[in-house]
Amino acid sequence: MENGRIAIPSQGNGGLDGQRSGHFGHCDVFTLVDVEGGEIKKTTMVPNQEHDQGGCMVPVNLLAKHKVTALIVGGIGKRPLMGFNQVGIDVYHDAARVEIRPVVEDLIAGELPLIEEDQVCGGGK
Amino acid sequence: MIKLLLVTPARDSFAGWASAVERRDEVELFWAQSGGKALDMVADTLVDLVVTDEFLGDMTGLELAERMLSVNPMINCAAVSTLSSKQFHEASEGLGLLAQLAAVPDKEQAEELLQRLIDLKKRVAYVQSP
Repeated sequence: MENGRIAIPSQGNGGLDGQRSGHFGHCDVFTLVDVEGGEIKKTTMVPNQEHDQGGCMVPVNLLAKHKVTALIVGGIGKRPLMGFNQVGIDVYHDAARVEIRPVVEDLIAGELPLIEEDQVCGGGK
Repeated sequence: MIKLLLVTPARDSFAGWASAVERRDEVELFWAQSGGKALDMVADTLVDLVVTDEFLGDMTGLELAERMLSVNPMINCAAVSTLSSKQFHEASEGLGLLAQLAAVPDKEQAEELLQRLIDLKKRVAYVQSP
């Protein structure tokens, strides 16, 4: 990635040296990382919003409003994934690492895969 | 205006529910008798909420909810289901359904669902009308 804004669902206060949250919809905050010329320029934190039943589009709305271009998740439901696709936010997948920094660095280096439809959560799978 | 699409081959089962929503001036109610017809309608019309029966003849309500995601994931959906709430949660996880409805949904469920939809629409206004 040369330029863009990456969102990472995070635990606690978030931040580049913080830890990722396993469930994007119920994370405490989103860590937003601005990338310019392939380098990390700025990090900001955005509190998550309340997520009721059927509220999958609330985080989609929140991140689209903050001009996010890429999201890194450990897991995500089909509806929010389709929602992010619809608003032009690319969703990347890493279910193994809890640290934020290495997955951000891998995304910038082009080494993080986009999530596949068969990797979504739910539907009894 | 809020556009609601009711999908059921047994419209009479929803008579109480439908009369409650039709009383609201801001609601426009459409009806489709099968999943296939509903998919055609949501492809052509911007619908806010689909309320689907459990079985539609050509597919189940949950299959319709999943197939609608490919048409427009912004459309909200509530589904009749006789599953326990735990089973329903597992069967519908990831589909982002707004509610599980009783086999014969009543006026109270209609009012509650409408209010939840109105609240939710305010919270996703940016992506629904960017």
